[in-house]
Amino acid sequence: MAKEKTLSGCAASALAVKMAKVDVICSYPIRPYTATMMELSKMVADGELDAEFVHGEGEHAQLSVCYGASAAGARTFTGSSGVGVTYAFETYSPISGGRLPVQMMIADRALDPPGDFGSEHTDVMSARDQGWLMGWAETPQEAFDNHLINYRIGEDKRVMLPQFVCQDGYFVSHIPNKVIVPEQAQVDEFLPPYSPGAHVLDPQKPMSHGPQIRPDQGAIMDLQRAQAFLDLPKVVREAVADFNRIFGRNYSPFVEEYMTEDADLAFFIQGGHTLTARHAVKHLREQGLKVGLVKLRFLRPFPTQEVGEILSKFKGVGVIETNTSYGGSMRGGSLLGEVRASLYDAAKRPVTTSFMAGLGGDVIPLKDFYWAAKILAQAVKAGKVEKTVYWAGLEEQAA
Amino acid sequence: MFNIPKESAVPFGCVTPAPVGEQPMMITGNWREFRPVIDNEKCNLCLNCSVFCPDACWQMNEAEDEMVWNAKYCKGCLICVNECSHDALTKAYELDFPDGVVRLEKPF
Amino acid sequence: MAFPVNTQMLPLFKKLRQMPKEEQYVPGHRTCAGCGPALQYKLVAKAAGPNTIFVGPTGCMYVANASYLCTPYAVPWIHAQITNAGAVASGIEAAYQARIRKGTWKGELPNIIAMAGDGGATDIGLQAMSGLMYRGHDVLFICYDNESYANTGIQTSPTTPYGGNTTFTPPGKMVPEGKKLFPKDPPQLVIGGHPAVKYVATASVAYPVDLMTKVRKALNHKGPTFIHIHAPCPKGWKFDESKTIEMARLAIETGMWNMYEWEDGEYRYQYRPKEFKPVSEYMKHQKRFAHLTAEHIAKMQAFIDAKAKTPGIPVKVPVPGPRE
Repeated sequence: MAKEKTLSGCAASALAVKMAKVDVICSYPIRPYTATMMELSKMVADGELDAEFVHGEGEHAQLSVCYGASAAGARTFTGSSGVGVTYAFETYSPISGGRLPVQMMIADRALDPPGDFGSEHTDVMSARDQGWLMGWAETPQEAFDNHLINYRIGEDKRVMLPQFVCQDGYFVSHIPNKVIVPEQAQVDEFLPPYSPGAHVLDPQKPMSHGPQIRPDQGAIMDLQRAQAFLDLPKVVREAVADFNRIFGRNYSPFVEEYMTEDADLAFFIQGGHTLTARHAVKHLREQGLKVGLVKLRFLRPFPTQEVGEILSKFKGVGVIETNTSYGGSMRGGSLLGEVRASLYDAAKRPVTTSFMAGLGGDVIPLKDFYWAAKILAQAVKAGKVEKTVYWAGLEEQAA
Repeated sequence: MFNIPKESAVPFGCVTPAPVGEQPMMITGNWREFRPVIDNEKCNLCLNCSVFCPDACWQMNEAEDEMVWNAKYCKGCLICVNECSHDALTKAYELDFPDGVVRLEKPF
Repeated sequence: MAFPVNTQMLPLFKKLRQMPKEEQYVPGHRTCAGCGPALQYKLVAKAAGPNTIFVGPTGCMYVANASYLCTPYAVPWIHAQITNAGAVASGIEAAYQARIRKGTWKGELPNIIAMAGDGGATDIGLQAMSGLMYRGHDVLFICYDNESYANTGIQTSPTTPYGGNTTFTPPGKMVPEGKKLFPKDPPQLVIGGHPAVKYVATASVAYPVDLMTKVRKALNHKGPTFIHIHAPCPKGWKFDESKTIEMARLAIETGMWNMYEWEDGEYRYQYRPKEFKPVSEYMKHQKRFAHLTAEHIAKMQAFIDAKAKTPGIPVKVPVPGPRE
């Protein structure tokens, strides 16, 4: 019988990883993801989880240990936040290019300078070009589920790619919420044991992993990985469908819609602040505004087609950006550019703008969503946006 | 969407087979200017040449009564000539030999 | 950390005739003619045998060996970053511990050997090396020392000798000796503060049976071990490529390189000269020292005198700081 527990995102992640019967874990402490490792170390110490718990000397080491362990045929797990994520940066490409399905939990955190423990998506989003899967959970339940789904997808022989399984620091990682914990048998049915491919270090089958290449061989290697990302959505859909069937959930693989049936306006959002956004949408609806929200579950692979199709239904889309991309084309965060690119070929395109919110770990109060909706409504009326980026709480409230 | 022609395919995850006995994709015999020449009468099979060669180009034969030189890979560093314990090895100019300077069809 | 029972024990041998015939590091690699590091790789691989996994951080023993899309390693080998050989080797070991314990891989725990250059061991790779030593993984960490960042064109590293001309320490009127800093002592870095380490040794390509014996002893130990191997570099040190072994021998005869083992807290020495030759006998053959004056060579002599007296005890002679 599946049980209902009240768990923080960190605890939910740890429990999922335990039920996934991981082989090698590499830890290093940094707020706010640390609690996940604390939970896992206790499970290992108590004999509940048979895994090697390796104390890395830093985040770069965490990923390096997992690179070696995965290459030697182990199911691996590690995690980090903030500057830890960027410290390990060198390792992301070797792991992806080596086709090693390492899983890294991200409880996101604002980057220095200066020290800031609060949530922000920029840390791991800065690695979005490195060839990993990447997606956010809105709740501890979704975090739990995403860990299992990502192992299944990442280890699929058609994919063999590492995954960033992300959740908002503190808002999701620390605030407890209801999690339906499945039976081990359900997890075993959904997630087979890791069956390493021929590219694994084994003295009984010697091979050389990662020799130097000529420049003219580089493009072909990149193309092969690009091809894997093209094949990926099919595997994602299969895995999510299977997950829903076995665990009784109802996830949409890539994009979730909420109250969008006859909406004129929509928020486009990922992660924990979606919870607040849902309430805002409900209240705005009660006041007669036809607004909905579209939640992104996978940033990589970006569901270009789905996003284009869904968002073209609306007259106005406001992208909530809890990340920064200085000097980027939209002069705000990264999501608006991706949204506009997805809409480029659509026959009908909404007006789009972005709202920088939740940066530094600040909450996004309901009133910020109301303010954003108002700006969006005005833009739809005018037929165009005044600018591509608005900073919530920092603009004059005249609008 | 992408069509990778077979001849351009590179190994999955940049993993290549381990060599067996030698690595023919990196033939180095055409590097040398001099080659070591052995006088088997003087050689006492001390194995200095074999152990000190960075390229493993001196090996004892099956019968264990003679040293065999690997012309395909020897770079002509002449460490073996320097370390031979019984003056059995001397150096000779590569071009003096009819098979001197291994020619490859294309560089590397 | 529990070790599985089934780890292999490699027999020690005393004569060249007894060394294994099989090569695990085969002909066909792009290292320089006369390359000291290539030679030590061959010897280490031969001593380790087929149940071995090598970790190859970036350096000469990666780039020169693995160009292009082909390698000379007959045993499994994986590339690591120059920063993380120790960590990658730790991960491989942890994976095999887990897999053997859980029954998903059957066999004896493979030899896991990290093959790092002096930069990958004592400079950019120091942190990962120390982490490995601290955590006690069953891994042999080898520092092949050619006394520079050779692969990138001979730049100074923490083991480049005082006075060594490299492309980052060229002599000039502001810096007549070229390199002012005295080198780190890699085995002492390990011995000093890692309680899980039971065996540390230095070795040289000049004494191959000694080298292969030390490799096997280290592999037979359960836990992390460290071997510092002197591997002369004809290109970087600027001497004739046929003299690699001579240079290695001279280093020992002059005290520039000390041969010893440290096992369970005890030092044992090998090939200690009764009388040391002056360091100038070593330095005169290598053009990387050609710019030095008698004053510089005297400084080197003083440093080596103190170091060679009792290997393993910190140098008591005050070493001049770089700004003095």
